[in-house]
Amino acid sequence: MILRLRSIVLQCGRYLLIAVALFLTLFPLYWLLISSLKSDPELFRSVPTLIPERPTLGSYRELFAIRNVGQFLLNSTIVVSLSVVASMVIGSAAAYSLARFRSPANQSILFAILVTRMIPGIVIVVPIFLMIRAFGLLNTYAGLSLVYTALNLPFVIWMMRSFFNEIPIELEEAAMVDGDSRLSALWRIVLPLAAPGLAATAFFAVITTYNEFVFALILTSTDDTMTVPVGTATLSFKTSVDWGAMTAMAIIGMLPVMMLAVALQRHFVRGLTLGALK
Amino acid sequence: MLAPSLVLLLGVSVIPLLYSARISLLSFRFGNPYKFVGLNNYIHLFRDLGFWHSLGITAVFTVVAVAIEFVLGLCLALLVAGNLRFKGLIRTAFMLPMVVTPVIAGITFRFIFTSDLGIVSYLTRIIFGKQFNFLSTPELALPAVIIVNVWEWTSFMFLVLLAGLHSLPTEPFEAARVDGASPWQIFRDITLPLLKPVILIALLIRTMDAFTTFDSIFILTAGGPGTSTETVSLYVYNTAFQFLQLGYAAAMVLVILVLLVLVSRLFIRLLGDEASAA
Repeated sequence: MILRLRSIVLQCGRYLLIAVALFLTLFPLYWLLISSLKSDPELFRSVPTLIPERPTLGSYRELFAIRNVGQFLLNSTIVVSLSVVASMVIGSAAAYSLARFRSPANQSILFAILVTRMIPGIVIVVPIFLMIRAFGLLNTYAGLSLVYTALNLPFVIWMMRSFFNEIPIELEEAAMVDGDSRLSALWRIVLPLAAPGLAATAFFAVITTYNEFVFALILTSTDDTMTVPVGTATLSFKTSVDWGAMTAMAIIGMLPVMMLAVALQRHFVRGLTLGALK
Repeated sequence: MLAPSLVLLLGVSVIPLLYSARISLLSFRFGNPYKFVGLNNYIHLFRDLGFWHSLGITAVFTVVAVAIEFVLGLCLALLVAGNLRFKGLIRTAFMLPMVVTPVIAGITFRFIFTSDLGIVSYLTRIIFGKQFNFLSTPELALPAVIIVNVWEWTSFMFLVLLAGLHSLPTEPFEAARVDGASPWQIFRDITLPLLKPVILIALLIRTMDAFTTFDSIFILTAGGPGTSTETVSLYVYNTAFQFLQLGYAAAMVLVILVLLVLVSRLFIRLLGDEASAA
């Protein structure tokens, strides 16, 4: 009886602690959301309201009126699509060859690829800026996409290799015995089986690319090319910040990645650890 | 099939680093002709109090933030592991801060901390009778950027450690329970040692990342007030893109890279000991 009671108390404590952690995790996002839905007078009230008294989309209308936010979203969409598609094609090819053509050099190649991923952005930001400038690609979609394609590759290669490794090699061998070439076996057998892995990897690459800031900051400085993070940062550094529009911008800016993340949750840990943990 | 990947990866690793090494030997400012100055940039760097100051700030930021993230992440993982209602939902909720664009996380917290309409200044007013303006007070700005980093990245520790806990074998735990070990003994003598490789990898990834944090600090304080939150990333950025001393920034970056390599080698050494002991 006493043991039961003890375990009930422990369980309550456990749920209580989790609830506190959830509150701390979600409150900032909740606060941002409701603030974006408040009218300006309510936003500036000295005693803040926890639920907007009269929710309004006024801040969102204001946001799209004062600044070309649509352009930032378009820029991000173009750069993210170009670089994720390119890195998926190039990286998957590399991953497939690393998974299937066993050679003694593979381990060192994989390790070298991992090392390039460990190089922090700030370490290569100066030479990359000079290289992109020398190519005449500053303030272009091509320049930023090129950098992002290369930066995504280590992740794509490691992830896709772990997915290819899970597909039994016998399936392809059987197809090739039946007269398929390696390429058609890849196309007909391997890629359909690897499709969930391809999707998870691509979604992940979309999130990191969309969120990237340092390179976007130094490689794009015009309204026509700057991505959502740079556009948002620029808005936030104006001398008097319009918090209504700013909170609306933050909500719009985070929506795409939030939705992708929820879609990805099953593969999330695998993505965080480059396929090492599932 | 590997060639395109390897070429692109060289373009964001070896080539920029060699390029940095070359320009670190030049007096290279925008608009001025550059000239060879030998090791002058490095000599200057070792006398540059601003650089050492930023290194100190970075060390405090990294150690404190990663330590808090680890402890909170581990506690949360232990709380959530095992049978739990709504486990999937809870895990998804904890995942959100990590995928929010860091720039937008920075803006969210600038809004929360802002002096005129921030909720933190309101709360400190009613609790302490005195308004705390975290981001504009030198002593409070560093704790504030640490809090934001903890909010963003505790979820990383949590997810990776939770996956680690789930991957542990169940037999040692059952055996210990049969032998009447207390929960604390089980945690200390079984969970922790078995989890150690995952812990080391998670710490390694977070340490490297925290050491070069840029986005959220840039948005929250831009290194200020004064230089109280100027981490090495911001120092490099300001040197290169505000003061346009590219040669000097390149030298700085190479010194930082050496430091990072030394730190990661320490972790890898610990991991290696772990592997050879097992």
